[in-house]
Amino acid sequence: MTGLVQAVPLRRRRPVARAVEGQELALVVVVALLWLALSLGTDTFLTGSNLRNIVFGVAAIAIIGVGMTPVIVTAGIDVSVGSMVAVVMVVVAKLIRDAGTPAPLAILVAVALGLALGSLNGLLVSLGGIHPIIVTFGTLNVFRFVALRVFDSKQVTGVPDTLAWFGGGEAGRGLLGVPHAGWLAIVLAALMWCYMRYWATGRHWYAIGNDANAARLAGINVRRRTIAAYSLTGLLVGLAACVLIGSGGLVQQNAGAGLELQVIAAVVIGGTSILGGRGTVLGTLLGALLVGTLTSAITLLGWRSELTELFIGLFILVAVGVDLVRERRRRTR
Amino acid sequence: MTTKTAELDKARDEQPTPGHSAPRWTRPLRLVLSERVALLSVLLVVVVVWFWYLGQNDYLVAPYDADYLASALETMVPLCLLGLAEFIVIVSGRGGIDLSVGSIVSLAGMAFGFMVGQWGWPVFPALVLTVLVGAILGAVNGALIAYLGFPALIATLATYYAYGSLALVSNDNAPISTKPVQDLHSLTRAIDLPVVPDLPAQVLTFLVPCVLVVWLVVNRTTYGRRLYAIGTNDVAARFANINVRQSRFRAYVASGLLSGVVAVVTVAQFASARPDAGTVGNGMALPAITIAVLGGVAISGGLGRVAGVVIAALLIVWLNAGILLAFEGSDGSQFQLFALGAVLVLSALLNAITLRRRGGVPG
Repeated sequence: MTGLVQAVPLRRRRPVARAVEGQELALVVVVALLWLALSLGTDTFLTGSNLRNIVFGVAAIAIIGVGMTPVIVTAGIDVSVGSMVAVVMVVVAKLIRDAGTPAPLAILVAVALGLALGSLNGLLVSLGGIHPIIVTFGTLNVFRFVALRVFDSKQVTGVPDTLAWFGGGEAGRGLLGVPHAGWLAIVLAALMWCYMRYWATGRHWYAIGNDANAARLAGINVRRRTIAAYSLTGLLVGLAACVLIGSGGLVQQNAGAGLELQVIAAVVIGGTSILGGRGTVLGTLLGALLVGTLTSAITLLGWRSELTELFIGLFILVAVGVDLVRERRRRTR
Repeated sequence: MTTKTAELDKARDEQPTPGHSAPRWTRPLRLVLSERVALLSVLLVVVVVWFWYLGQNDYLVAPYDADYLASALETMVPLCLLGLAEFIVIVSGRGGIDLSVGSIVSLAGMAFGFMVGQWGWPVFPALVLTVLVGAILGAVNGALIAYLGFPALIATLATYYAYGSLALVSNDNAPISTKPVQDLHSLTRAIDLPVVPDLPAQVLTFLVPCVLVVWLVVNRTTYGRRLYAIGTNDVAARFANINVRQSRFRAYVASGLLSGVVAVVTVAQFASARPDAGTVGNGMALPAITIAVLGGVAISGGLGRVAGVVIAALLIVWLNAGILLAFEGSDGSQFQLFALGAVLVLSALLNAITLRRRGGVPG
């Protein structure tokens, strides 16, 4: 999408500076300041249960964001993840309620189903030659249709807590009291971060995002790498659905509606360029954490919960604005 | 590369020229496959005839006749107007898109509700001000995108959140449906017309004038030409002494303006100013973008026609109306989603294939 190549920094710098550069560093500072202010300003922020809630609240967004980051890095986008989540959630919820499917099998089904749906997007984008936003707007509708057919006009109630390991309850609490879902997001992000930074095939995503034609001429299998990015997103959507079903109970027909925008917001706040070619998973993780902190802060301060979205909007503008200024400075240097 | 060139040559050779070559019957087929407006028109006729046939043979729960089709146009007004809004910003290029239209509809609608319902202003000035509010909200998008250089997807994602949040907060998440607002419903009553079936009033008072104005602006003014020019190649446009930023800015203002009109229509139609009018469920932006793309607007900018968008809206509305009659209960609304998605992807796929074969511009 970008005309001129915007080079991935190749200069050697000190390792730390290279690991957390630009946006990520700023985000860390912002999140730290917010946490500091909130723990001084309220009694309830810096409590175990509140921090657990924040982490669990953003875990699903972060997990999907880990897949969305390479998609956006290749200058693509996937707006169908919300509907995908709905499909996986309803199928898995019905399986474990009606067929008593054990947890490992349920997870396998979730991941496989997500992978299949994601691959469909990938195939249409790369082989069909259609712009990703059109493909995923289309599949957004189609997947929602599939989900509603499986729902059969009723919400799924009384889902057993087969997947409680992922859930926000007592059984889902892991090391250091952080929910398993949070650890899952962190581990996945770490793996992805290494992959996108040190593996050749991971670097290919950046090359494709900078200039798909140049990447193809350089011998990169653009189609396969594109399909891989979308399929991976689907796979992670499957895992995120497991987190959302978590402790069981109720799965509503509007499950996952609007989730795509939250994920994209987290990715973009994390400094990934929507034009492709730049961005890291670490940023996405921090972006998701920032969104979760904001949501929690507004509740704790007793402000109207509807204001959360106003602040998410403002943060997107600030994050991208800062990035634009940096970009301009880099170009004039 | 040689094969590609050979293909192009072959494609050019195959172009039917008057007088000789290519069997005559392939020409309409070629037209239908390559011209989006022709393809959509054929689909429209097929859909209407098919459902009419089903209705004649008692497969539908109610007759699919002219009266029903006319009353279905009610749902076309917001769809088509927002489709045109997306058309303008997408044509303006550089990844142009407006995700915030639904939130603008909510927020401008709440403003309309306050003016008419709470402060008791007369309807007409309130209406004009509402459209103005929409334009101002659009101008914020435009300033961010055209003057500050934000990517359109991001800027409008941010304002989608911000405007939607403000709309919810404005009246404590409650709709305004006082007596004066309820009286607005008369704006959308069906009008008795000779010869043709009764149309919902907003089709004649809002939709048709807006479509005409957009068509005139896009096709008969220098601004329209500038819009296509910056969408095709904004560097070339700048060299041609076009004020690229201002032209792009105005595209987003126009989108906000049309959203303001939709806000008025929506409030009148539901006899209530709802704070989530444009954002509930999947929101209004997704169907609007779908309509624009289905209407042949290239997401890369610079390509697209008003007629395509209008026919696409008509196709979806009448298809949906038919689907609603073909199923019992809520099944119909589910199949509408499927139809929308499938039609969108298939038409884009068809376009990509025909354009690739003809060596044209990617859509």
